[in-house]
Amino acid sequence: MSAASKQPKSKPSNGLLWVESILLQFPLRLALGGAFAFAGYTKMNGVQSFANAIKGFQVVDADKHGYLIQSAAYTMPWVEMVAGVLLILGLWTRASAVVIWLLLVGFIAALIHVIMDESISADCSCFGDINVVCDAAVGWCQVIRDVVMLVPATYLVWRQGGKLALDRAFGRNLNDSGPEWTVDRGGEGA
Amino acid sequence: MQMTTPQRVLAIVGGAFLLGSGQALISKPITLGPANLTTGTSGTKGDPNRIKQSTPPAEVPVVEPDPVDETTPTDAPALNGEPTTSFAAAIDSLLDKAVPAGTLTLRESRTVWEAGAYFLDARHEYEFDAGHIQYASYLEASLFDTDPDRAFAVADSIPKDATIVVYCVGGECDASKNTAALLEQLGYTDLRIMGAGYEDWVAAGFETETTDEMEVSP
Repeated sequence: MSAASKQPKSKPSNGLLWVESILLQFPLRLALGGAFAFAGYTKMNGVQSFANAIKGFQVVDADKHGYLIQSAAYTMPWVEMVAGVLLILGLWTRASAVVIWLLLVGFIAALIHVIMDESISADCSCFGDINVVCDAAVGWCQVIRDVVMLVPATYLVWRQGGKLALDRAFGRNLNDSGPEWTVDRGGEGA
Repeated sequence: MQMTTPQRVLAIVGGAFLLGSGQALISKPITLGPANLTTGTSGTKGDPNRIKQSTPPAEVPVVEPDPVDETTPTDAPALNGEPTTSFAAAIDSLLDKAVPAGTLTLRESRTVWEAGAYFLDARHEYEFDAGHIQYASYLEASLFDTDPDRAFAVADSIPKDATIVVYCVGGECDASKNTAALLEQLGYTDLRIMGAGYEDWVAAGFETETTDEMEVSP
């Protein structure tokens, strides 16, 4: 009896997992991954602008550590792009969600740094030279937007890609540490 | 082989770094360093059309061949010495307000403006449209990325050795430095930054115009 009552609790039914995949994981992956792929693409098209924006944030000293800004300006758009596309595809879902989660936390920290320091007036350049939801100038709007994006990112790190993720097509999923029910989500039912 | 999540995270970041390095190799380099700036008001080499325009209070507006700089002086009857009379005392402190090292004070900016120097507005386009220093052209640094043709049209309308004054809102704004750094790469030699900024220019009551007021020749 104990085994029977324990079973559905620790392992949700296949149908429920499908419902979750269709209603939550799939649309959230598309939205979050799409936002990041788009952000990466716009930044890639304006590396000079993006480098100026990073310099404007004054997180690193541009005169002493210009190479840091250079590498960040070239690398960060690609990180966003790669992680976003992987998330849309549902390939390496947890890893790309972790990357996006870390990026978001970094962005929030940088934004708050700019907001707190009265002498800095910087443009977000979050989506290159395009403004999404918020104005160009850094403000709490961007922080809220990033916190809102942090919610699906956290959810996807936790639940992974679900049934509609490409991870499933590649057999057994992550050999990850963690509670049993967080592992092998994508491969379940395969 | 199964990779764990941390390994995959590193793979994503590492792969992106390689892609970015590749992009860095094939694209033109990023300009980060500050431009070599000229200070003071000496040796101003301005727009010949502007100088012609502002010397006599011309009734007939001079039609300029330059597609960016043209404006009609109709609503600016007294271009010279207007602010030095009645508001002198009040404005004096504003004119000589301390500015970051290597940039022009409001008084110096005004002097070179009267000498016909090319003024470039490095703020956002909507800010420029809402009001800018008279005869200034819009040239935000990012315009070279978003609309290179337009950016180069502005840049090409200015001789390489002419005096260029770049301004933004004022205070610690970075925008004018970014534009100046890019212009230096293009070979412009006399770049100056107006440390005072647009807000001070307005506060002093100097000439401004909106984009609607600019007369653009066909």
